[in-house]
Amino acid sequence: MNLDLTWRLLKGGGRKGLLGVWLTLGAVAVSTALLLFAVAANLAFDARAERGAWRNPVPAAGDAVAVEASRFDYVRDQVITVVDLAALRPDAAPPPGLPRFPKPGETWLSPALAELARDLPPAELGDRYPRRAGVLGDEALVYPGELVAVVGHAPDAPAMTAERSDDWIVAKPPVRVASLAGTPSEDAEAYKVLAVIASVLMVVPLLVFGGAAARLTVARRDRRLAALRLVGATPGQVVRMTVAEAVLVALAGALAGAVAFALAVPYLTRIEIQGGAWFAGDLFPGLAVLAGVLVAVPLLVGLSAVAGLRRVVVSPLGVAKRETPPGMRFVRVLALLVVLAVFPMLTQGTSVAIVAVALGLAFLCLNLAGPWVVGLIGRITAGTARGPARLLAGRRLVDDPRSAWRTVSGVALTGFVAGFLGLLSPGAFAVDDRPLQLRVLAPAGQAEQVAGQARERLAAAKVPAVVTVVKRTVVAAPSGPLDTAGMDRARTALAELVPGRTATTEADEGRFGEQILLDVRVGTIVVLSVSFLVAIASAGITAASSVLDRRQTYGLLRLAGTPLEVLDRARRAETLIPLGVMGGGAILVGAFCATPFMIGGISVAGVVTLVVCVVLGFAGVIGAGALSRPLLRSVTADPAPRPD
Amino acid sequence: MNDVLVGRNLTKRFGQTVALDGVDLAVRTAEAVAIMGPSGSGKSTLLHCLAGIMRPDEGEVHLLGQRIDAMGERRRSALRRTRFGFVFQFGQLLPELPAEENVALPLMLGGVSRQRAVRQAREWFAPLGLRGMEARRPGELSGGQAQRVAIARALVARPAVVFADEPTGALDQRTGQDTMRLLVEATRHNDASLIVVTHDSNVAAWCDRTVEVRDGHLVAMSGATA
Repeated sequence: MNLDLTWRLLKGGGRKGLLGVWLTLGAVAVSTALLLFAVAANLAFDARAERGAWRNPVPAAGDAVAVEASRFDYVRDQVITVVDLAALRPDAAPPPGLPRFPKPGETWLSPALAELARDLPPAELGDRYPRRAGVLGDEALVYPGELVAVVGHAPDAPAMTAERSDDWIVAKPPVRVASLAGTPSEDAEAYKVLAVIASVLMVVPLLVFGGAAARLTVARRDRRLAALRLVGATPGQVVRMTVAEAVLVALAGALAGAVAFALAVPYLTRIEIQGGAWFAGDLFPGLAVLAGVLVAVPLLVGLSAVAGLRRVVVSPLGVAKRETPPGMRFVRVLALLVVLAVFPMLTQGTSVAIVAVALGLAFLCLNLAGPWVVGLIGRITAGTARGPARLLAGRRLVDDPRSAWRTVSGVALTGFVAGFLGLLSPGAFAVDDRPLQLRVLAPAGQAEQVAGQARERLAAAKVPAVVTVVKRTVVAAPSGPLDTAGMDRARTALAELVPGRTATTEADEGRFGEQILLDVRVGTIVVLSVSFLVAIASAGITAASSVLDRRQTYGLLRLAGTPLEVLDRARRAETLIPLGVMGGGAILVGAFCATPFMIGGISVAGVVTLVVCVVLGFAGVIGAGALSRPLLRSVTADPAPRPD
Repeated sequence: MNDVLVGRNLTKRFGQTVALDGVDLAVRTAEAVAIMGPSGSGKSTLLHCLAGIMRPDEGEVHLLGQRIDAMGERRRSALRRTRFGFVFQFGQLLPELPAEENVALPLMLGGVSRQRAVRQAREWFAPLGLRGMEARRPGELSGGQAQRVAIARALVARPAVVFADEPTGALDQRTGQDTMRLLVEATRHNDASLIVVTHDSNVAAWCDRTVEVRDGHLVAMSGATA
């Protein structure tokens, strides 16, 4: 019976009531889509880490079946991961993506590298990887389009026995392994940690937004439900009806969000991280996760609705009769201050889990303190107001600071993200003025001999260069300007000059660090984009729902001659005043939380991102608020407004 | 006494439905007129046309000799703010403003400073039996008290005409009678005319004159006529 009545209430809400339902549905859809993205991003990094694990060998504790080593090579300014393999036993299992273990002398290239080897002259790439036996499957690749070469060797080949750099960023020395399962590399683990932090930064505003959406349903219904309480509905019946309605709408929203996410996946796969785009499969979170989200989101919305309904259930008159809202406790701000006091104690050595929890706590406390501060701003605004618009705005903020906070919380919390990442982004990219010289470390006592071979090879490849020896390093400096094709000819000529080593430039060696910086930048932009989307959607939806909730009062004020501009100005002030204070405050809190993790000084790029964020945030909220102006005009045009 | 508000040949249609069909009505200065009629008879439409909320399809409305139905929305809106006062059945008070600021709002909208507007607003509280209620919010007032605050708000800007749409509809009979007495006395005291839409003959009895609307026509009048 309750469900039937709930359905009737839902359907019978009229055009504007249904608009409210659509707003809730839209909000839940956006939340679900972005939540799926946040979850999928973590799973995608996990999948990458697992797929790349075979290249990060684990030394065998007992009998070894193969020897594995790896290094980086370069072509056309792109990185090639070269894995050298030698079987110790004939039954050694091949690595993922290979049908059999590579024989000595054989090379297996990834599809993108194979294509490049076909397209470029052999002297630029192909000659480095002769005797190509086949193409690697996707299972061997971290991302589509990755350049990977697997080279087979005999166990006693120089490449598998020669000394190599022990810097894991440059190469991995030969390791005797019991299997080629490997383990996720250090950098893959680092990316997973960054993904967790990014998810926390994205998910908290999402939860706030989702909660706001749930209360939006309740706000529209509370008067009606209070009336039901007045006519004798039990608290249980009211709760069941509310939960049923909220869950029903949320389920539809969650399904719409899942569809929207699925449609967005092809576009999301184009976001390049770690040097490449994504396999679509990596970004599909899997049926179990999808089902979990589709169950969890409506449940959370239902719970949030129950929390919003508490007042109706406790006292049916609580909503039917508007009373002075109880003041919020200062403990909300105290909680934030406590977390902020603890934050500087976190150092870079602290475990990631603790940092993520602390970050989440700071975020949630900011959200707790928000309404209190909004109430304070409201009292100050109302106290100092001279005109009706500011007076209305100030009193409204005092009356319902939570609602006002919901409108601005998105951008304020985005401000926290921007403040945090703005300082965290390590500096702008260095200007590349490094010399274009190929260098390779020669075995002890063989530097001159290696230099001689280098001269011969470069001359044969028609690359004019001066080859010198600095301690054990053979340095080949081009005599004149060298384009990328010439550089690749030089690289090809010097391939296998020293077994197990690649001739590299200084820029090549800095590439890993630059890639991390670039990825942090991309990650920042992704997190900020998501936060913005949430913030602006949140601002638009809450502004529209605020108009709907107050349509009767607005309508009667308009009938009594209040200019639409005054109502609109009041609405704007109601948003912009707390936005300015809270947005600014949140940025400072975010920046403060980032200080323990800062690398070097304040980043110019980060500050620019921050400024862009603030400008876009304000513009977005103003724009989203302006979108509800026609709605305000429409609801106030009703000549005979009546309550629901 | 002169006619302050005159409606001539007022006709209003909503699709095929004729809500008003050639209605004539004149209201004199400080006169209280009740418009009665069953639901859907057109009485609220008549009030909306007279108050400049709605434009009649045919006919004219004049306030103190000035034709108002031909004015644009902005001018009619300004007119409603400065020359008319409104009392509705419920919901007209802003829940977040204390009573005194609700009353002061029309003055502030007219450009009066907040301090002065609130001071003027407070003067209305004692005569309407609201002493001590100035700082209360609408949710903390009884229905009758809230209607008296609404009366103060309708009169604070010294309007020429006060329109009341079922002003006692949400009140019990005794409170309704008290509210009507205060409404009629206060408007008369301020030389304002009063037009009350009601279906309650007890409410209409407080007025100088009653007109009845049925199917869009004025069918009966009682009391002093124009």
